Amino acid sequence: MKAWKYKSIMPKVLTEKHRLIEPKVIKDLVGRSPQDIGLALADSTYRKEISEIPLKQLSSLSLERAFVKSYMRTCMEIMHHSPNDIAFLLSSILMKFEISTVKTILRATEANLKIEEVSDLLVPAGSLNDVECRRILANSQTVNEVVSALSGLEYGPTLRESLEQYDRTGIFLFLEMSLDKFVCQRLWRSAVNLKGLDRKIGKTIIGLEVDAVNIRTLLRCKMLGIDKGQTKQNLLPVSDVFRESEFKAALESADIPSAIATLSKDAEFAFARDYRYVLDDILEEYRHSGSLPQLELALERSLLRVSLRMLKRYTPFFNIGLILTFLTLKGVEIRNLVACARGKEGRLSTKRIHELLIFP
Amino acid sequence: MSVEIANVHPTRLELLKLKRRKAMAEGIVDILKKDLDALTVALFDLAKEVPSIRRQMTSGLSEAYDLYVESEMVVGPRKIKELSIIAQPTGFHVDIGERKGILGISLPTFELAKETSSELRPRFSLMDSPAKLDASASQIEAVLSKAIELAQIEASMHEVLDLMAIKKRQVNRIQYKILPQLDSAIRYIELILEETERQDAIRVRVLQRKRKERALKAG
Repeated sequence: MKAWKYKSIMPKVLTEKHRLIEPKVIKDLVGRSPQDIGLALADSTYRKEISEIPLKQLSSLSLERAFVKSYMRTCMEIMHHSPNDIAFLLSSILMKFEISTVKTILRATEANLKIEEVSDLLVPAGSLNDVECRRILANSQTVNEVVSALSGLEYGPTLRESLEQYDRTGIFLFLEMSLDKFVCQRLWRSAVNLKGLDRKIGKTIIGLEVDAVNIRTLLRCKMLGIDKGQTKQNLLPVSDVFRESEFKAALESADIPSAIATLSKDAEFAFARDYRYVLDDILEEYRHSGSLPQLELALERSLLRVSLRMLKRYTPFFNIGLILTFLTLKGVEIRNLVACARGKEGRLSTKRIHELLIFP
Repeated sequence: MSVEIANVHPTRLELLKLKRRKAMAEGIVDILKKDLDALTVALFDLAKEVPSIRRQMTSGLSEAYDLYVESEMVVGPRKIKELSIIAQPTGFHVDIGERKGILGISLPTFELAKETSSELRPRFSLMDSPAKLDASASQIEAVLSKAIELAQIEASMHEVLDLMAIKKRQVNRIQYKILPQLDSAIRYIELILEETERQDAIRVRVLQRKRKERALKAG
């Protein structure tokens, strides 16, 4: 094990991990307005981004943008202290945000929105800074023009390929799906690129993250009655545990519990115990509640548990487990903070907001 | 059916005719009043359904809104707002038909007909949206069918109310116009006939007196 390569990244991640907000503090924020939440977070890691928002403009939407910017900043700071292989994985995680920005630009162009109407939704990321986003939006009248403006970037060729499908069918989802597939493939590639224990942990956490999206997609398509061909188009191609045939078998199952059970059996054959834990968790939840939204919540909780389990299973230092767990915890923290702000804005009861929060 | 006194022939035959018409008009009023009662009952039956459907609609909409907010809580309001700007609206139209209601009147029927395409596709990116958004959308669809049911009931109520107004006008016309006219025509003929009878009686008495006087002169 080359422990030396973690000499500067681990202290950085540990410091950031200690800056995470305590679950008790988040629970106390339930029922408080976005302004109150913004003020309460004045001395947190989000201070810099929140201070840029005028008090009157503090809403769940502006807070979400601030949190995402903060997440990206933290991720980039960690990346600067990382060795090459880990930096590549972190750049793939950051790529998710850039892809999200691309989707925002494409959606805004498809809907003929003006720049001012999109500015609330746009979070500049990666090579798409604020000026570049505005330039693309101002100069592009059609989706084709956006795609040609983005053609020089890493995902340009992928976008061009899916543009043909979009031009032929007029279905916008093809563009979104190609971007999702691109970012997932990049994430998987960066996890496979790691070495030793890092590779094992990275493949488990990233693989589960991607497969969780596939499981969600598969179960939702089953629930909505979307045909198998369409469902297959929506599945992400990367998976170490599930192959296409296994997803196909799950698709052909009679109902949702049997589809989960089929996947769980496949995970057992692949000796992927973390997958089994996750699938067993969601199967139990679905049998208990019979609700897909509840199942999705259980899936999110289960994924968080897998990340935390990695810390217990392996030493928390000198491997990528701590970094990925920290990023998962940070993501969940942001999700919880946004949920608190939006729940209050939407006048939901505090009980209901509490139910939708995820804690380790 | 109106009767103008100027056009009435003061004869017994006419009197009989008018009395028959009056009896018939009274019969019609009875029937119309019974129809009105039946329509009122039908109206109340329809009106009774409205509050419960309105309540179902309100609770359905509030549930759909809560699910929408919850979906924003799960994936963030930004993604849901983005999805909402490009999501294709669900196509639907309302089939309008007819059914026979009370007293054989035709009441409208509205039926929700969804546009079904041969290939069912996800409406928005499945990666960016939670299942709660589907639940919210399906809740809205359920509310839509309730709204159409409510529209059908309200349209039926309009039909029944229109018919009630017509019946009410008919009753009023007979009760307050035709029957008084008939009554006055009958009274007029009866007066004329009485007058004629009195004149005849006087004429008979004058003739009898003249006959007696002629008999006395001859005798």
